[in-house]
Amino acid sequence: MKRAVRVGTDEKLVLTANRLLDGVIVWRDRLGQWRPHIGVAEKLDAEQVAPVLELAQARAQADGVVGVYEVAVKDVEPPEPVTVRERIRAYGPTVHPEFAVETVQ
Amino acid sequence: MSVPVGHYQYDQIDRDFLDARIAEFSEQVARRIDGTLTEDEFKPLRLMNGLYLQLHAYMLRIAIPYGTIDSKQMRMFAYIARRYDRDYGHFTTRQNIQFNWIKLEETPDILRDLARVDMHAIQTSGNCIRNVTSDEFAGAAADELVDPRIHAEILRQWSTLHPEFTFLPRKFKIAISGSPNDRVAARFHDIGILARPGDDGRTVFRIFVGGGLGRTPIIGQEIFDAVPEERLLATLEAIVRVYNAHGRRDNIYKARIKILVQALGIDAYREAVEAELAQMDLEHYRLTPDMVDAIQARFAVPTLSAPGNPAQELANKRRENPEFDLWVRSNTHPHRDAGHIIAVVSLKPAGGIPGDATSAQMDRLADLADEYSFGELRITHLQNIVLGHVRQDRLYDLWTSLKEVDLASANIGLIGDIVACPGLDYCALANARSIPIAQKLGARFGDASLQAEIGALRINISGCINACGHHHAGHIGLLGVDKRGEEFFQITLGGRAENGASIGTILGPALPEDDTVDAIARLVDRYLGMREKGETFLDTLDRLGDAPFKEAAYETV
Amino acid sequence: MRLFELGERIAKVHESLVTLPELAENTDVRAVLLDIADDPAALKPYLNRLELVVLRFPIFRDGRVFTQARELREYLRFSGEIRAEGHVLPDQAAFLKRCGVDSVVLPDGSDPALWERQLSRFPVAYQRSVLPSRPVGAGLRVEEGT
Repeated sequence: MKRAVRVGTDEKLVLTANRLLDGVIVWRDRLGQWRPHIGVAEKLDAEQVAPVLELAQARAQADGVVGVYEVAVKDVEPPEPVTVRERIRAYGPTVHPEFAVETVQ
Repeated sequence: MSVPVGHYQYDQIDRDFLDARIAEFSEQVARRIDGTLTEDEFKPLRLMNGLYLQLHAYMLRIAIPYGTIDSKQMRMFAYIARRYDRDYGHFTTRQNIQFNWIKLEETPDILRDLARVDMHAIQTSGNCIRNVTSDEFAGAAADELVDPRIHAEILRQWSTLHPEFTFLPRKFKIAISGSPNDRVAARFHDIGILARPGDDGRTVFRIFVGGGLGRTPIIGQEIFDAVPEERLLATLEAIVRVYNAHGRRDNIYKARIKILVQALGIDAYREAVEAELAQMDLEHYRLTPDMVDAIQARFAVPTLSAPGNPAQELANKRRENPEFDLWVRSNTHPHRDAGHIIAVVSLKPAGGIPGDATSAQMDRLADLADEYSFGELRITHLQNIVLGHVRQDRLYDLWTSLKEVDLASANIGLIGDIVACPGLDYCALANARSIPIAQKLGARFGDASLQAEIGALRINISGCINACGHHHAGHIGLLGVDKRGEEFFQITLGGRAENGASIGTILGPALPEDDTVDAIARLVDRYLGMREKGETFLDTLDRLGDAPFKEAAYETV
Repeated sequence: MRLFELGERIAKVHESLVTLPELAENTDVRAVLLDIADDPAALKPYLNRLELVVLRFPIFRDGRVFTQARELREYLRFSGEIRAEGHVLPDQAAFLKRCGVDSVVLPDGSDPALWERQLSRFPVAYQRSVLPSRPVGAGLRVEEGT
């Protein structure tokens, strides 16, 4: 799905996807590995993102992920998604605190 | 209990078919994993088998045809919750169950486990004819004319892997009821069917077409008043064929049959269907009495026997225990047999997640079904559970057992009986979370006597315009919207899905979550202050219009 | 072009294939390609001379092809060959056959073994199709084929 991601000042982009085999939400780190914690995600500038995204999408099958797209985050450590939707993806459903995802491994 | 009542009994032929379907799906999964199938190609194939990719994981929606299951099947859901998911499941407004934390690679195993109890996930999603829904009180209600489940099963079978209608422009939902009191929201379905007995002893059908909620809520219109049983399948083939040929495919928001019916007008649509019927070989499509009787013969019926004076015993218990009496008032429905009663188990505890059940609760419900209701359970389109045939003199014991597992909320049809979609906590399409506001409202109005005092009032909550929480049909409807990253809720009033279906009207500007809860509390207070004796919320709203409620809702904003 | 036969009819290669508007002027042509939006009823005047009707999937999700095939077989009683081409999946083989399609132009890289397997996958069907059938057990179920 195409999403128009608007990037504000002090914001960066990270890449996310779901793992094909189990659907787990993953984030792309600076080595190009897909990992289940947003804390390790590589933060990219808006100008940098297009070629990285394109490459990641082209490699999705080989990397065992599906639905690669970019997410706007606050430029803090660990990165924090701007929208409610992406915060829920990053940290887990708000109605089940017991399923919370840790931000760093 | 050897033969479960209330649903079609599979035989070896049905089981072989199911095995073949699982083998097919397993191969599709393998082709997806090895890359032979792209995600774009796999997606419609997995959806046709109930498998979504949601926010956090895959979600599997399992079909509960006409909402009826037996205790063994319920125990299998509990097993799946424990073995493959996170110990709970979610009953949906289309009488199905879905699991939220499923792994793609495990789905073939789950389907094999389901098949052991004659269950599947066929056509619970995708642009095909979906699992057919029906009256949760079917075969039990005192007001019923015809048990609609026989024909619901016929429609389930007819639509299963239908060669022509598996790649429709959009999803297609059919509901069927056999009672003059519409409990299936027939006029909010692509096709809604009301069955009644005909003069010749066979069933006849009144058919509505083109209803639906979603982003364009439309009330279905009558296309035929009296379709004879033997013409039922031919008529449905013709209706769906016109849609498949002419429904829009260029815009998914305009692809439902309701848009085509609106564009053509109901008279032109009817003429198009009649033109199809005139060309069809009706003998080829004939639903013969033999076919119907053969399917009916696969439905075991409960042997109802209630010696003594069960009604008197129930009356005594109600007098002795006001809490029990309150529960009986809201959570039961008259049974066709004088000694029996229909009990509704609320899955809406105050502050809980509407429609969720843990594996322990599912197991317990299965036990109670065996003990009190011939092993039969029904899932309602309002996300509750029905035990359909409870002896009146045993109702008190059932209630006591339900209390022990926190399943005795006395709120069916009341303000605490909230319908909410999964919302942004789970759903990839949502704009706002539906569950937290449902929990807050549920807690706010949790007190059973307060709910009884407020009376009949339905709240429906959707987390986006796709309206899975049916907010247009709620007496009070809430639609979650995203305002620059913040969740707001738009309030609608006056929707109803029952007889005299109508779509709610928007009250005013959307409010943030907590303000919305407060606004609803003020609005309910205003109703309590203005109602005349015997009036429900809808009665007062119909009498006074929404101006006083608007004033109350936006008082302090 | 690799053709896969869904049933017993042998697929025949035609030299010329024309569109519906071209059919009127080409009186010797025996094969037509219907557009996804064409109404099969428009073929009525030509049915006697047509030996092949090709239906084209713009994308495998566009199910109008199934209705077109069925209208050709059921309403127009077309007895020639019906072929599907375009973006079509082996998973659709039995649906196509049951709607009256005889052959498929296999998309590049499509494995005929998958198509073959799909045709024999289901022992029964729960509704009648254009194929000859016998009831199985009681109720709606049928076994198809001659």
